[in-house]
Amino acid sequence: MSYIQVEHLRKSYVVRKKREKGSLLREKSRIDALSDLSFEIGKGELVGYIGPNGAGKSTTVKILSGILTPDSGNVLVGGRVPWGSRKEYVRHIGVVFGQRMQLWWDVPILDSFSLLRDIYRISETAYQKRLAELTDALQLEDILRTPLRLLSLGQRMRAELCGSLLHRPELLFLDEPTIGLDSISKLALREFLRWENRENGTTILLTTHDMEDIHALCSRVMVLGHGQKLFDGDFSALLSRYDTVRTVLVRFEEETELPGIPSVSVSREGESLKLVYSPKELPTAELLERLRQTGTIREMTIQPQNIDHMIADMYEEMAL
Amino acid sequence: MKSYLTVFRLRLRMELQYRGAMLGGIICQMVFGLILIALYRALYASRPQTMPVESVVTYVWLQQAFFRMLLASDPDLTDKIRTGAISYDLCRPVNLYGFYYFRSLALKMTGSLMRAVPMLLFAAVLPAGWRIGLPSSIPGLILGICALALGLLCVSAIENINMGFTMRTLDSRGVQAMLNLLMTLLCGNILPLTLFPDSWQKVITLLPYAQLLDAPIRLYTGVYALSDAVRVLGVQVFWTILLVFFGTWLWRHNQKRLILQGG
Repeated sequence: MSYIQVEHLRKSYVVRKKREKGSLLREKSRIDALSDLSFEIGKGELVGYIGPNGAGKSTTVKILSGILTPDSGNVLVGGRVPWGSRKEYVRHIGVVFGQRMQLWWDVPILDSFSLLRDIYRISETAYQKRLAELTDALQLEDILRTPLRLLSLGQRMRAELCGSLLHRPELLFLDEPTIGLDSISKLALREFLRWENRENGTTILLTTHDMEDIHALCSRVMVLGHGQKLFDGDFSALLSRYDTVRTVLVRFEEETELPGIPSVSVSREGESLKLVYSPKELPTAELLERLRQTGTIREMTIQPQNIDHMIADMYEEMAL
Repeated sequence: MKSYLTVFRLRLRMELQYRGAMLGGIICQMVFGLILIALYRALYASRPQTMPVESVVTYVWLQQAFFRMLLASDPDLTDKIRTGAISYDLCRPVNLYGFYYFRSLALKMTGSLMRAVPMLLFAAVLPAGWRIGLPSSIPGLILGICALALGLLCVSAIENINMGFTMRTLDSRGVQAMLNLLMTLLCGNILPLTLFPDSWQKVITLLPYAQLLDAPIRLYTGVYALSDAVRVLGVQVFWTILLVFFGTWLWRHNQKRLILQGG
């Protein structure tokens, strides 16, 4: 039996709109945030959860963390129903919402941590051990006694992450943890998540719009759109399906008109020509040969497809 | 239980971080006290009331000294409700109502005590006629302090009910503006309740707002005799329990129909 089991989950919201002129009643519309979502996640997996804004990702996380009650469907996490006995259930999970704060703004983060220790009733020895471990892995040593409001965004994120993991949750939800972070912080954070997953066997569900995060961390990815699961499987398999085109930037010695080549779209970009083609339809060698015949090439680059473009193509194809 | 005490301790430390705000508050309340007393002295000069003016002066000073207990609400919580950061608190294995009850208790207690001590010292060295009076008796003082503690428990319960409504409307200003007006009026901050017509007082002193500061002050000044003490404290306990129950119900109800919007 899998660690997380989700079956036929449904949740809809009622959205009230501003009253239109001439009508007495406000218009209400139902939005199905989740319609018939099912999936399973095994213990110790690190799964990416992606989809465009409004696809229902956060709703899923909120249901799985016991905050929201679904309209229908079954969820079992480690044999427990999240919204069943909230207080007992949340003891076993940790959450990080990248855009919200859990630590207290005005007090040193160490004080916020000791509050969490008491909330989760962690014994002093277990707390000290875990804190030392996390402080080391997240490099928090120098900022433990600093109030949260004086920390940079990257430092704050690391402190938040530490706060969410103090009670050794079996399951960790991360909602856009790298939002707004610089490259160094991002890389450090990814390294830490990999470490936590490997060393402590923590199951992690990562929601993000940053495809680099997914690429670096998750082998398995689930794609959500319109409240339904559209893809579930290997991230590289997903990418290879949409990794279809290459872009060539080419600059000739002298101004040259390119003869039309079938299945290649050409546009001008500064002094260069930008050619987008699909290697499946037109082998790269053949394209190069054509270009060489056209004129003397001064400079040329071939670029693979950007992950974000692939994901955008995928969302488009899935009509999201 | 330990976690609720830690919340209390932490909120206490937070309150100490803003000493400038505290100083400003004290000066503001002192000026308010002086103006109100000048007003009542003028009133008494033209038309004496049954209540002696010294008693009114004491009433005003005690009201001003503990003013912070009444209107201070937790700005973090209103922010959390607006932004949805309250979702974090829902992911904790604690009772949300209890958690915030202790937070607001700490805020109101430290906030008012830290202001009250310098305020009362100031009010004690003023010239006669402006100065705060001594308690009617030692037992009166002790009972007054007990009643003040109960008043703190009661006002925190009221605060949590305000917050319960804020969760529904998502905006604290509307409900709070109304409840704050009721609060300052009915607890005797604007006009001492002892100056209201006697028939009005019979009703007003039974309302929850009168339990916060009016009851302790009356025990202190001896308007309530020592023989009344059991009845007075009983009414306070009654309201505190009732308001805590109502607040708990309101919060639990809110939690069920809660929707957190956005990513």
